Amino acid sequence: MISGRGGSMMRGGRIRPPRRPTTQTSGTDEFEQCWEKLRQALRDIHLRNAGNLSFEQLYRYSYKIVLKKAGHKLYDRVKEFEEQWFADEVIPPIRALITSNLISVTLEKVTGSSVVERRAMGEKFLKGIRASWENHNFSMNMIADVLMYLERGYVQDHSRPSIYTATIGLFRDHILRSTLKQDGAAYTIFDILNATIIDQINMEREGDVIDKALLRSCISMFESLFETDEENANEQLYLTVFEPIYLSSSQAFYQAECEKLLRESNASAWLRYTQRRLDEEAERCETTVSPLSLAKITHVVEQELLVKHTDEFLAMDGSGVKAMLDNDRVHDLANLYQLVTRVDPKKTVLRKALSTRVIELGTEIEQTLKNTDFSIAQQADAEEPADGAEKSKPKTLNAAAQQTAAAIKWVDDVLVLKDKYDGYWKTCFGEDLTLQTALTKSFADFINAFSRSSEYVSLFIDDNLKRGIKGKTEAEVDIVLDKAITLLRYLGEKDKFEQYYQKHLARRLLHAKSESQEVEQEMISRMKRELGNNFTSKFEGMFRDMRTSKEETENYRDHIRGLGDADEKHIDFNISVLAGNNWPKEIMGRTGLADGPKAKIIYPREIQALQDSFFKFYSLNRNGRVLTWVGSAGSADIKCFFPKVPGKTSGPLSKDRRYEINVSTYGMIVLMLFNDVAEDEWLSFERIQEQTNIPQADLINVLTSLSVIKAYRVLLKESQTKAAAKPGDRFTFNREFTSKAIKIKVPSVNAANRVENDEERKETDQKNEETRMYVTDATIVRIMKQRKELGHSQLITEVIQVLASRFKPDVSLIKRRIEALITREYLERAELADGSPAYQYVA
Amino acid sequence: MATKNISPHKFVTLVSSDGYEFVVLREATLVSPAIKGMLDPKSQFSEARTGRCVFEEINGMVLEKVVEYFHYWYKNREREDVPDMEIPVELCLELLMAADYLGLDSKNTRSFVS
Repeated sequence: MISGRGGSMMRGGRIRPPRRPTTQTSGTDEFEQCWEKLRQALRDIHLRNAGNLSFEQLYRYSYKIVLKKAGHKLYDRVKEFEEQWFADEVIPPIRALITSNLISVTLEKVTGSSVVERRAMGEKFLKGIRASWENHNFSMNMIADVLMYLERGYVQDHSRPSIYTATIGLFRDHILRSTLKQDGAAYTIFDILNATIIDQINMEREGDVIDKALLRSCISMFESLFETDEENANEQLYLTVFEPIYLSSSQAFYQAECEKLLRESNASAWLRYTQRRLDEEAERCETTVSPLSLAKITHVVEQELLVKHTDEFLAMDGSGVKAMLDNDRVHDLANLYQLVTRVDPKKTVLRKALSTRVIELGTEIEQTLKNTDFSIAQQADAEEPADGAEKSKPKTLNAAAQQTAAAIKWVDDVLVLKDKYDGYWKTCFGEDLTLQTALTKSFADFINAFSRSSEYVSLFIDDNLKRGIKGKTEAEVDIVLDKAITLLRYLGEKDKFEQYYQKHLARRLLHAKSESQEVEQEMISRMKRELGNNFTSKFEGMFRDMRTSKEETENYRDHIRGLGDADEKHIDFNISVLAGNNWPKEIMGRTGLADGPKAKIIYPREIQALQDSFFKFYSLNRNGRVLTWVGSAGSADIKCFFPKVPGKTSGPLSKDRRYEINVSTYGMIVLMLFNDVAEDEWLSFERIQEQTNIPQADLINVLTSLSVIKAYRVLLKESQTKAAAKPGDRFTFNREFTSKAIKIKVPSVNAANRVENDEERKETDQKNEETRMYVTDATIVRIMKQRKELGHSQLITEVIQVLASRFKPDVSLIKRRIEALITREYLERAELADGSPAYQYVA
Repeated sequence: MATKNISPHKFVTLVSSDGYEFVVLREATLVSPAIKGMLDPKSQFSEARTGRCVFEEINGMVLEKVVEYFHYWYKNREREDVPDMEIPVELCLELLMAADYLGLDSKNTRSFVS
């Protein structure tokens, strides 16, 4: 059963409780009664004297008042009461705190008083404010609790600010915003409060100890107060009033600090300082100011300390980024990286600084190389008259060895540099990708700016494969190979490197200079992994040739033995059959040198017989092939007999001597000539040339090596100078030749794998240009054949893309080749729909 | 069981207008903001000091049902799909009034509903 009393109360959305008989009598009187009780209670609450009050009772009073629809009256009365309370009890003590001294110190920045005084004064004021606020806030919470029913029954229905908000707002309006007049200027307490807080914060920044909790509670007051009673979250007094002041004062503070640092300090201190300040401000946001400001204050510090002055600090002499890099200031660099990353995700400043420094150091390496190179050459040639007017052969030889050394030094230096920066990258820069790209680019830049880098890298590998890896463990060899590949990656002109490598490899193979076949193979396979099949196919072909040649030699020997033609004058014979494509042109017979068309070398009879015999054998299973004998690449062991010299009774000259002399093929031919020459007869240079047909340059090499260097002086030159043999000289067999060793190896000028001289380099470059031309042609045609029609710029882009793995193609080169292809009717001009130029493939 | 506990005791005593006393788990009563205000130890009202709340507006029958509700809420406060509490029809209106007095709006008990 529904109780009968409630029946008439069901109206509207909200169910009103039924009126009680008691509340129906004498409305206004009861209100006054209730209010009087409440007023007493409010006083007691403010005075912290609530112990005897019953919450339920007070609650019931406000409940009754609201039920009697007198809520608005109660609301206004409470507000009135609070205003009165403020005026009588709260404001006077606060005013008393505001001394004229405080105002002048905080607002007018009068610096008369000491820091200690100022701090004490500020703290006293802040404490007063805090106590007053906390009292008020606490009382207001209690009052709001007691008046909860008013809140729900009246305030919400009439959309007025809640009791709590309204009474809290009184603090803002009557205390913070109350105006003080002094000396004709008007201040609000708010101004003084802000200035005091900021003064305290600045004291802490200067290193003083302040009462953080006190500041924190003052600031949390700002956070709980709002511009209006609507309590819009964006209108916290903290955000609207305090924060802007805080930020601008911080900005001023750090600006001044930074200028001071710029004047008096160094980059390293700056980094530490900035890091410390950032940490401090973050901590301050947690403990003293509001966490809301963390991002903003950090931004201020970053702007003032980092963004505005990074360049100036980095450029500082003796402590800037250059000094950090040069002196291994790992800690500073790591700091720098972290700070720069904060403000600029692209790290432009750091990237630039690194690139510049790397390129500078790279260029420096090149520069020192040039200098040291020269001085070493001077030293080593001290015995030589250093006129240098004529390029004497021994000198070139020496210089060649030194240039190899220079190449190795360059590579080593570059690798050291790279290791160093890689180290920084790992330890200081957090393996940052953008920085890695920048570093790689700068390395590639300076390496490619050095015109001989391809040659030097190849020489480095050559030297290591010839000597360097001797006695090294597998792991060490691995490191060497890794280094080589690292450098190779940087090279832009890979085709050039390919040529050099081919040349050096050819020499290693033909002269059996290579230390380890396995390492050679490993190197090739690494290059293959790095640069693709195309790049290494020639090298692999060279190895294949060497293998088949070895088999061929074996077979030939078996064949000869099979003939049973035991010849006493049998010549032991090794042959390398080389396929023309895989090997460098110089090896295959020096075409293109100034000697004109290649003359046929005249071999001694014995050798000719041998050649014929082998060719016959070779053509047995390979019909139609042509063998060209390349004299410049081979070597021969000759047993030489020196009869005793008449008249000598003691010493080595008194006996017959037999030596086994290892000379180049040309050397062998020349020496064989002297077999047919009478004792004491001299052969002129021209005569030798005529009888052998050896190209002049090679002949000079051979004769020089046989007649000038003392240890190998098998021939006597007419003039006993140390100058190289030249046309017009005459030679004879040196009967008085002695040597301690039985086996002698006469070094040939070709043996040292030297850096090229100018002429050779020009030639290599030219050849290189030519190859590039063909490669470009082929690429263009391949692309056009596929596309049939293509716009001009598109074609260029595609060609560049394809060629980039081999070298950095030049746009003008591509244009020239397109022109040439048009003339040769591979392409014809066309136009795209939009009128831009294009090309068409002509089938 | 009118304890003179100053430190919050685990149980509080609710007294009806006609003198019935109910000893209830303190936590369960806190669903009512009004009671929460009364018992707030910071404020030191007499209820907070004694742990005894007298309700002049609510009789024993209704208060019994209210207490039942407090426990019902407390038991189910973290569950979903809770069965309805049984409300005798004849107490409906008076319970409504009591709920209004104690501030048991949906706003305050939402934590239980959702």
